[in-house]
Amino acid sequence: MFIDHWQLTIEKWLLFLFEGADIEVKKNRLIIGIIIGLGFMALPLFIEGYWIRVASSIFMYAIITGALNIIAGFAGYAAFGNIVFFGIGAYTTAMLMLRVGFPWWSGVMVGGVLAAIFAVLVGLPILRLRGHYFAIATLGINRAVEQIALDWGRFTGGGKGITLPLPQMEIQNFYAMIYFIMFGLLLLTILANFLIARGRLGYALRAIRDNEDAAEASGIFAPTCKVIAWTISAFLTGLTGGVFAYWFSFIEPATAFDIMIAVKAFVMMMLGGAGTVFGPILGAFLLELISETVWGQFLTLHMLILGIIVVGVVIFIPRGILELFRKKISLASLIRNVRNQSI
Amino acid sequence: MAVLEGKSVSKLFGALPAVDQVDFHLQQGEILGLIGPNGAGKTTLINLVTGIYPLTQGEIFFEDEKIDGLKPAVIARKGIARTFQIVKPFPGMTVRENVVIGSLFGKGGIERKTRTAFQEADRWIEYVHLQDYRNASVDQINLSFRKRMDLAKALAMSPTVLMLDEVMAGLNSKDIEEMMALVTRINQELKITLLVIEHVMKAVMGLCHRVMVLHHGRKIADGTPQEIVRDDHVIEAYLGERYAKARK
Repeated sequence: MFIDHWQLTIEKWLLFLFEGADIEVKKNRLIIGIIIGLGFMALPLFIEGYWIRVASSIFMYAIITGALNIIAGFAGYAAFGNIVFFGIGAYTTAMLMLRVGFPWWSGVMVGGVLAAIFAVLVGLPILRLRGHYFAIATLGINRAVEQIALDWGRFTGGGKGITLPLPQMEIQNFYAMIYFIMFGLLLLTILANFLIARGRLGYALRAIRDNEDAAEASGIFAPTCKVIAWTISAFLTGLTGGVFAYWFSFIEPATAFDIMIAVKAFVMMMLGGAGTVFGPILGAFLLELISETVWGQFLTLHMLILGIIVVGVVIFIPRGILELFRKKISLASLIRNVRNQSI
Repeated sequence: MAVLEGKSVSKLFGALPAVDQVDFHLQQGEILGLIGPNGAGKTTLINLVTGIYPLTQGEIFFEDEKIDGLKPAVIARKGIARTFQIVKPFPGMTVRENVVIGSLFGKGGIERKTRTAFQEADRWIEYVHLQDYRNASVDQINLSFRKRMDLAKALAMSPTVLMLDEVMAGLNSKDIEEMMALVTRINQELKITLLVIEHVMKAVMGLCHRVMVLHHGRKIADGTPQEIVRDDHVIEAYLGERYAKARK
C-alpha cells in the first residue's frame, strides 16, 4: 500500500518532468542521427589502437560536457566542481573492485548512484546559493572530497594513487569494449538532454536560469528542480568516472578530481552552445579532436590556444557555434555580440 | 466574501517598518487600487502576500486558508498570480515560451499535459493581442508588449487573485487606454479579483472599485476612488502638509 503510493508518486513525477512538448522528431533529422550513430558503431572496424582511445576520450568529454550542460547550461548554475562526481564514480569503482571484489560494471553502477546521492545531499544546501557563490561552493566541495581521497591512504591509496585489477581480455578487445561503453553512455546523455529540453523540467530550468524570482512566482519549485537536474548530471558524470577508472586501471586524486577537466568541459559547452541539446556534444567533439590531433604536438602552446578560444567564444559567439548555424553568419552579427558584451 | 485577507500585517527591514500593522481584504470580484507615495510599502505588501518575504507579524488568509509562511511557488499554485513592477521576463525564451511557464506551473499546471499547456498559452497570447509576436524573443519586443506578455503569463496561471504592480508605468496614453480596457475585461469576463498598484491616477479612478492608501507603511485611507481623492490625509501624503493646510 505504502510502496504503491510511492511508486505512483515517483511515476507521476517522472512523467511530469520528462513529458515532452513536441516529441515528434523531424524525419530527416532522425535518419541523419541514425546514420551517424551506425557510423560510430562501425568505426572500430576501421580504426584501432591509438585512434580508438582518442575516440573514447572524445566520447568521455562529450558525456561530461553534456552532463554539465544539464545544470550549467539549462539551469544556469555554474557547477565548476562537477568533476567531484567523476572522482566519486572513479574511486567507488576502484574501491569496490579492489576491496570487495565487485565486477567492474556493478562498481560503475554503484559509483553513478553514489554520485547522484551525493548530489542530492550537497545540492539541498548549496543550490540555494546563487551565481558566483554556488560556483565557489562546488569548487570547495571538489577540493574537500579530493582531500578525503588523499588522506584516507590506507583505503584509497592516497596521493600515490591506486591500481585496479587488470581486465582479463585481449587489450584490443578491451579498448573496443570501452569505446562502446562510452558511446552508450554518450547516447544516454544525449537522450537525457533531449528529454529535459523538450519536457517540463527543461522549461522550469530555463526559467530558473533567466530569472529565479519570477520562476518561483510562476509556481516553479526551484529548489526541487535544481536538485533533480544536478542529480541527473551527477549520475551521468559518476558513471563516466567509473568507466574511466576501469579503462585506465590506475587513478590518483590529482587526475580523478582534476579541475581542468571541468574547465575544459565548460569551454566545450560554451563553444557548442550552452542550454542546447547537441551544442555541448558538438563543442566537445570539436575541441577534443583538435586538441588531440593538432595541439597535442605543442604542449605549452596548447593551454595558450585554449585560453584564446575561451575569450574568443565568450566575446564573439556567447551562444555557441549552433547559434551560427541558426542565424546567418555575418561580420555585423559578430560585432553586435561584442557590443552587447560591453553593456 | 473576502478572498484575500490580511490581519495586522507587518514587515520590518532592520528597525524600519516597511509595512506597519496593515489590515486589508479583497472582496471576490473587485478591483482594489493600492496607492501611496514612493516607498510607502505597496510592493512590499505584494511581496508579503506572494511569500517572497516572511512576515514580521500578522497573518494572511487566502480563501480562508492561512498562507503566510508558505513558499512563493506554493502560493502561486494556489491561485495568486502577480506581475512585477520592473518586468521580469525570461529573456532566453520566446514570448510563447514565457507564457507557457504560467500554464505549465501555475494553478492546475501539473495536471495539464505540455501540449495542452501550449494551447492554453496561445489562448492567453491572443487575449492580450500579442499573437503576431508569439515566436519573437523577449528582447525584440518593446516595454508595452513585455508588460502584456507578463500579464498573459499571469493569466495562464489560472489565478483567482491577480496582483498588478504598476502595469501602466512607462506606457504612453494610447497604451494606457488599451491596458485599462484589458484589465477591465480580465475582471468582468474572467471574474478575476484584482489588486492594482498604480501611480497613473486616470487608471486608478477609471478602474478601481475601491482604493487603499499606504503611507510610511501604514494604511491611511480606504474607500471609493471619489472619497479617496477628497481625503485630507491622502492629499497631505501626496502633496505635502503645507498644500493641505493652504487648501483649508
